[in-house]
Amino acid sequence: MLTIERLTRRFGDFVAVDAVDLEIPAGQMVGVIGRSGAGKSTLLRMIDRLVEPSEGRIAFESREITALKGASLRHWRRDCAMVFQQFALIDRLDVLTNVMMGRLDHMPEWRSFLKLWSADDKAIALSALELFDIAALAANRAGSLSGGQQQRVAIARALVQEPRVILADEPIASLDPRNTKVVMDALLRVNRDFGITVLTNLHSIDLAKRYCDRLIGMKAGRVVFDGTPRDLTDAVVRDLYGLEAADVIEIPAAGDPTPDEIRAAWDAERAREPV
Amino acid sequence: MSVVIRTSGDLDGPMSDTRRIRGALGPMARENRAALEKRHPAIFAGSRLGRAATTAIFAGLLGLLVFALWRLEFSFARIGAGIGQLLHFLTLMVPPSAGTWARFWLFLHSLGETVAIALLGTLAAAVLAFPLGFLAAKNVVAQRVLHFFARRFLDTIRGVDTLIWALIWINVVGLGPFAGILAIMSSDFGAFGKLFSEAIEAVDRKPIEGVASTGGSRLAEIRFGILPQILPVIAGQVLYYIESNTRSATIIGIVGAGGIGMFLSEAIRTLEWQQVSLLVAMILVAVAVIDQISSRIRFAIIGERRIET
Repeated sequence: MLTIERLTRRFGDFVAVDAVDLEIPAGQMVGVIGRSGAGKSTLLRMIDRLVEPSEGRIAFESREITALKGASLRHWRRDCAMVFQQFALIDRLDVLTNVMMGRLDHMPEWRSFLKLWSADDKAIALSALELFDIAALAANRAGSLSGGQQQRVAIARALVQEPRVILADEPIASLDPRNTKVVMDALLRVNRDFGITVLTNLHSIDLAKRYCDRLIGMKAGRVVFDGTPRDLTDAVVRDLYGLEAADVIEIPAAGDPTPDEIRAAWDAERAREPV
Repeated sequence: MSVVIRTSGDLDGPMSDTRRIRGALGPMARENRAALEKRHPAIFAGSRLGRAATTAIFAGLLGLLVFALWRLEFSFARIGAGIGQLLHFLTLMVPPSAGTWARFWLFLHSLGETVAIALLGTLAAAVLAFPLGFLAAKNVVAQRVLHFFARRFLDTIRGVDTLIWALIWINVVGLGPFAGILAIMSSDFGAFGKLFSEAIEAVDRKPIEGVASTGGSRLAEIRFGILPQILPVIAGQVLYYIESNTRSATIIGIVGAGGIGMFLSEAIRTLEWQQVSLLVAMILVAVAVIDQISSRIRFAIIGERRIET
């Protein structure tokens, strides 16, 4: 159980996250939705303590996350893995070494410094890579891989941390539709097969509804929606995004104009303007 | 292995109350290790081979070091014996003093000359090396012959040390700071050409493509795609060389090409240790001041924010 109480983060005068209260039980797949700048990324980064909270507390079971320092903070980061939008891999190193970064807090410092990976650690890394069908690329340089492959390497790195929670910050924002599905399936698999809590920021409401058990809607740093995908009505989406719901979820309603009509209306509007 | 965990939520919805999970990655992987080793033999064996090679290389290097120390008659005993002499010199050095005020002003004037030699020599070298750096960069000049000759030309210039250049230029233009400027310009021209061309070769291709995609010319690609990327690197290198050359300009002074080095060598030769320590202290202060100024300039070019994040 991850507990967040009155969590706030200010950047100067700007309040990025405003008194957020959340309880996330173990094993849930949670999607965080909302416009850019709503505070989704800051919320996730605070849970991993990559951004320091201004106020409030984070607790995981009996651990006070907000109070952690030094080695205990590193142990928490091991237990709470992070997947980034831009993958955050070390381009110049091979895939296996990149995945081994997930084992850093499981082995003595001198071993990792000399890259003396144990056979057990290699087995763990390879089984994670096999899980996502990229074990054959283990010896390739991470930078030479496609975006979808790189994100799968990043998820493998998160998985070999043997974490309790995986935070994914817009994991699919730089990927094409096919890779989007591959990466979201990988996250779902991690959640279902290993019971790891997944907390992910998503831009696509459609995907969030399809993959997540629970959705959290944020607006201007506050949580304004918390419920199942079924509870997420068009009215809520409209409020979250300040847009017509159909624009956001891309499902045309019966009364909507067709693309031809939209273009015709556009041209007609232009025709009235003086040249 | 399967474990049932509790999650909260309604039973029939996607948020089911309990869920059967398959287990944990670590134990599963350890169980399957034999099969994994069979499937990926290269990865498990590769490191053993690599580890042996690394150990062998380190052992070889260590052996070479020991051999070199022996061959070159390296002796701790001689250092120990000499240390006493060094300490004696140090006691003679305090307090630093020029003897007379007139001589102090003379020192200060020559220090200014040294800084001027370093500044002018380095800037002249940078200006000359700038275009050549582009010629020597593979990603700018695809023409292999031109590229080859640019590289070899720079190698040749760089192959001759500053001190040798100083001796050559003294014979051409006579004693004095002008020869010093020419000496620093000549040797650093080669070094800058190499460093600049390497900075140019390391640039990101994406901005260049961006400029090309708008119909920009080759010159525009260099001006807007490459130049903004290399400017901070080049500025850092030039500023460091100005600082470093203030130190080497003292050596140039020793052979008579102007600056504070002449006084320094004379003081050492006549065993005026108090003057020696004063001169060294003056050079240190000058270098520290230049370092301060250059870090200000560098941050102004890079922007402080990039260091912070």
